[in-house]
Amino acid sequence: MIRNGDGSLARRSGVLALLAGSLAISSTHAADRVDYARQVKPILSARCFACHGALKQESGLRVDTARAILAGGDGGPAIVPGSVGESPLIDRVSGEGDDRMPPTSEGVGLAPDQIAVLRAWIEQGARAPADDRPEPDPRDHWSFRPPVRPGVPPNGGGNPIDAFLARQWAKQGLKPQPPAPSGIWLRRVTLDLIGLPPTAAERAAFQADRSPDAYEKVVDRLLASPHHGEQWGRHWLDIWRYSDWWGLGKELRNSQKHIWHWRDWVVESLNHDVGYDQMIREMLAADEQSPNDLGRLRATGFLARPYFLFNRNTWLEEVVEHTSKAFLGLTLNCARCHDHKYDPIGQPDYYRFRAFFEPYQLRTDVLPGTPDLDRNGLPRAFDANLDAPTFLFIRGDERRPRKDRPMKPGLPALLAPEGIAIEPVTLPSEAATPGLRSFVVADLLKEADAKIEAARAAIAKERGRIALATSGWTRGPMLLDLFSWTLATRTLASAEANRDSLRARARADRARSQGIPASDLISQASKLERQAALASAELDLARATFAAGKPDPKKLDPARKAVDAARKKLEAPGDLYTPIAGARKTLESNVEPAASQRMPFPSTSTGRRSALARWIADRKNPLTARVAVNHVWMRHFGAPLVPSVADFGRKGTPPTHPELLDWLAIDFMDHGWSLKRLHRLIVTSDAYRRTSSARGADPATLVADPENRLYWRMNSTRMEAQVVRDSLLRLAGSLDETIGGPPVPSNDEASRRRSLYFFHSHNDYPRFLATFDDASVIECYRRSESIVPAQALALSNSKLALSMAGRITAQIGTTNDPEFIRSAFETILGEAPTPDERTACELTLAQWRAILKARNTTDPNLRARVNLVQALLNHNDFVTIR
Amino acid sequence: MPHPHPAPSRRDFLAGLGTSFTGLALAAILHRDRVSLGSEAGWSPPDGKPHFPPMARAVIWLFMNGGVSHLETFDPKPELNRFAGKSIEATPYKNALDPKKLALSRVVVVNDANGQQRNTLFPTQVGFKKYGQSGIEVSDWLPHLGGCVDDLAVVRSIYTTDNNHGAQTQFHSGRHMLDGEFPNLGAWVHYGLGTLNDDLPQFVSIGHREYWNKSDGHYLGPEHDAVPIRVDPTNPLDYARPEGDLSTEEQRLGFSLVDRLDRLRGESYPGDPALSARIKSYELAFRMQRSLPEALDFRGEPESTHRLYGLDDPVSRPFGEQLLATRRLVERGVRFIQVQHGAGGAGVWDAHSGLRNNHAANCRKIDQPIAGLLVDLKRRGLLDETLVVFGTEFGRTPGSQGGDGRDHHIYGFTVWMAGGGLKGGVVHGATDEIGFHAVENRHYVTDIHATILHQLGLDSRRLELPGRKRLDIDHGQPIREILA
Repeated sequence: MIRNGDGSLARRSGVLALLAGSLAISSTHAADRVDYARQVKPILSARCFACHGALKQESGLRVDTARAILAGGDGGPAIVPGSVGESPLIDRVSGEGDDRMPPTSEGVGLAPDQIAVLRAWIEQGARAPADDRPEPDPRDHWSFRPPVRPGVPPNGGGNPIDAFLARQWAKQGLKPQPPAPSGIWLRRVTLDLIGLPPTAAERAAFQADRSPDAYEKVVDRLLASPHHGEQWGRHWLDIWRYSDWWGLGKELRNSQKHIWHWRDWVVESLNHDVGYDQMIREMLAADEQSPNDLGRLRATGFLARPYFLFNRNTWLEEVVEHTSKAFLGLTLNCARCHDHKYDPIGQPDYYRFRAFFEPYQLRTDVLPGTPDLDRNGLPRAFDANLDAPTFLFIRGDERRPRKDRPMKPGLPALLAPEGIAIEPVTLPSEAATPGLRSFVVADLLKEADAKIEAARAAIAKERGRIALATSGWTRGPMLLDLFSWTLATRTLASAEANRDSLRARARADRARSQGIPASDLISQASKLERQAALASAELDLARATFAAGKPDPKKLDPARKAVDAARKKLEAPGDLYTPIAGARKTLESNVEPAASQRMPFPSTSTGRRSALARWIADRKNPLTARVAVNHVWMRHFGAPLVPSVADFGRKGTPPTHPELLDWLAIDFMDHGWSLKRLHRLIVTSDAYRRTSSARGADPATLVADPENRLYWRMNSTRMEAQVVRDSLLRLAGSLDETIGGPPVPSNDEASRRRSLYFFHSHNDYPRFLATFDDASVIECYRRSESIVPAQALALSNSKLALSMAGRITAQIGTTNDPEFIRSAFETILGEAPTPDERTACELTLAQWRAILKARNTTDPNLRARVNLVQALLNHNDFVTIR
Repeated sequence: MPHPHPAPSRRDFLAGLGTSFTGLALAAILHRDRVSLGSEAGWSPPDGKPHFPPMARAVIWLFMNGGVSHLETFDPKPELNRFAGKSIEATPYKNALDPKKLALSRVVVVNDANGQQRNTLFPTQVGFKKYGQSGIEVSDWLPHLGGCVDDLAVVRSIYTTDNNHGAQTQFHSGRHMLDGEFPNLGAWVHYGLGTLNDDLPQFVSIGHREYWNKSDGHYLGPEHDAVPIRVDPTNPLDYARPEGDLSTEEQRLGFSLVDRLDRLRGESYPGDPALSARIKSYELAFRMQRSLPEALDFRGEPESTHRLYGLDDPVSRPFGEQLLATRRLVERGVRFIQVQHGAGGAGVWDAHSGLRNNHAANCRKIDQPIAGLLVDLKRRGLLDETLVVFGTEFGRTPGSQGGDGRDHHIYGFTVWMAGGGLKGGVVHGATDEIGFHAVENRHYVTDIHATILHQLGLDSRRLELPGRKRLDIDHGQPIREILA
């Protein structure tokens, strides 16, 4: 039995009393006059509008106005004012089982106090204010309407951004803050555009430049820097969920090996200012648009990222969710199990969208110079299963596909009223048969020749040794030399046979692809391939016989059998040979049959993804440019124009500056979707130049907009994880500026490469970066900016921070204390110290020196300065971009 | 809710620093979140206070990695011995194989060697004895825990749906691996409740974590990840001491200079909530550097306590140290401590073969330490306010795998809880006669979460974030029958 302490009984009754109290309170409320707008409508909106509102009218019923509730639906009026007993609405919300509303599939029913409110409202006559409006038509939702270029307000200055912002201030009587000190601006714009702080030389040059376009010159220099692509590449890789591969042990389960080629493509594309529309088309369909351009094929890493070995549905769910969130700001994922509750997207739309991707799979193509796909290769998308059907899953349950009704690729009618045209694409022969790419055979032959060379060199060495041995008197070594001689000659024979086989197979491949009658070449290829197999088996047999100095009985028998089998195959004439692969298909799943693995790559592609990409990147698409512009704006200003950055639907948040957003979106599209132009426009605005301090601000402005929604000052932001680390390295003069290439191991804390080059997967990531809210590879449309003690510990105690402090001190050089302090402030924080700050530093320097001297430290002066630099690296304004 | 104030004076600004760290840090974060999430009318972030009077203030979450056999620990099944070697089909319990009942399983790895149906019944590998006034039966491998049984609420009817070790995540977050990544219980508690001690992290993880269990906060944000702690006072967490030559005295001067300079910045940037939060975070970091090693230093504990946790036995010592550290942290006001046992690969409890040796050995590692923890908490009066949970990702099959092991089993297994305002000495729920399906008072894993949140005074529905709709099954239902 249960033993109950008195204390817990007492406490328990306390809880009961409290609960009873809260119930009593709500019924008292219900007995008072019920306020329809404040109490009734929010309940209906939260629980009923999705099916009985503007989006849908199940059973012909809408409940988004009191009038509509009275009018009722197919079953007559939903309520009778004054008579709860005759009001079906109350029956339904308080019922049990299948009749209950909202249905059990929507979760729990209304709470008793909510039902009480509805009852009281009906009892009191179901009155509503005159301005009781229905939900707006979903088709009129702002982001589903194409942007219309708004006129730029007059008198706003040269930059339209400032004109739009100024109009809002004028309306609300706000007064903007003055520009930031120039050193702060330089640090801000440099960190923002290239992710590194300005050097001393750059600071000096800017301070000395008195020309009217000094600011613009800095911006142009930064946009032209190759580091710009690295910094903004990392931003876009957040949104596009870049991740290196992960799995269990060596088993690759997620993403792909060598996916860093996609990262490099992003960096390069941004540096070359490739249009954002073009980037979208390449990421979704470069294999159809430029099937033989290995450089562009890297872009389809976007489709390699969601790979999941164990479940194709999970894989495609991620593709659908993040294609629609990243490019369209649509939460299509909400329609997987049921119709979307807020946006005009039906459950079938979800599966139609999935159908664009259904045929695609992944493979790794051989790249020039590295035939070994374990060392390098290009993970990329291609249409493998051209007729793969897409089925709607009942309630999203993959075990319940609607096989009677396969879904064709298509788009929500609202967004693509005229439908979408899909044209299959015929692929050039090298795309479907990558072994035909000239470098593939050339590289394989080079490798084969190198093996022959090595084998010949080994033989020459053996020959020398045998000559030496036969000139002597002992017999023992002779036998051993015979062993190694046999091995060496077999190795050479195998290497030569392999080269001959390669050549013959390549010749046959070429002839077949050109449609030339090739039966002779094919049988020659078949024969030489079998000869190579025999030579390889004979080499294995020689190894089993001789390698250990004596025959290995366990290996000997199978090796003999293998030789016999190879010989037999060679004797039977054949017309089958293995074409040069040039690519390796990625497992479709852990249960993909071998036959499916061996299927040749199709010579056509469905064209589905090209069609989708064209529609997304079309200037008629109302969402794409707005979503992109919002992402860019947020990363410059520390706040987005549309706060729900990945949801522009009805559940999202409306823009704070709708006209500015539309103007930027249209201007962006008008100028070839150029991101560099957009960056330039934003960072050369007065708004961007403003101080982020509220000091001395107009009191009325502070009261009216304390959170700075209207940009009367700049926002301070916290450096992203990568920028924190890269800044330490740059200030210390230690940054390795190499751009691109395979990832640096995540635990290589001694690496001086930029942080975006670290291996970064769900399982492996650098611990220093993780402390500063590094991007989650699962989803990261916006970084967190937490402030936690772990960050303080990392900057105070990590080897990285401590050693960089020493180097930064050396960079600043030896001057007198006040000079050193000033220079350290400018280097690390972007501006000179105030007199109070200087005094505080001088005082502490003296204290450090005193204790260091007392301990007989070798150079107390230098060490005290290192400590000062270390302290400034822990200053709030080091990790803050002011 | 603290706002950026209209042009505060320097004095106001400095005075504002007196408020609790969480308040300010939260304010800084929410200052941003409010912008991104503020669309939801009426939504406001948690204020750090419980929603109703709590029965417990702290949680110790013991997680056994690999899948503990319920049949050899807390759920004895004599019928297994009676029908040992028989196919389930050939016993009176063949309806256990009803495909409708088996449809619960959501398979991640198709054709995996493990996680399969095992139909040849395997006898119980250990004896059971009744313990305490309640007379609840406990395995002979767990004699010390048997001695605590009158403090346990044993729930024998838990089920889950992932038949592979992804169920580890599922046990923590309530969501199947194929659904994606979701915050786990500790993160929700950390998100919902304020701090009990400004000198220590409030959500701590002790013990190695395997890859499916590496992070906690997910969409709540990384600040709600557990702080991983090593039971080593000289090196308790990453970056806990200078990785270089820097004396404590020099560093103390450095910290106070940073503090001074940051405060001076407050004049140039009045009302900047991030600045105040950062100052507080440095204060906490500096204090944490001192208080964590102290909390993990067992030298002040008497010899009898060392023995109580099994520190005198090399077999039980490692887990015993984790649990003694746990008690010392709970005592000092840490809110939620996640303790992992046996992570690495699939987890040490994953007895596909040699179950007898495996479980006998693993039970030896945990029995004395867990019993010691319960006894210690109780004698210090901490058990009333501390809820201890003993969980694992799933049970093990009644049928044998390879003649001497048991496979993963999701349809019914045991979890127990103790303290924190729960009943002791009770068994709730039951599996069928062969320990296959939970048949009485079935509970999905989130019912455990709901029970814990309820005892902490939290309503998970009130913690929900706009745009992050949770399902009823994510919230679960408190197991009311075991509430005291």
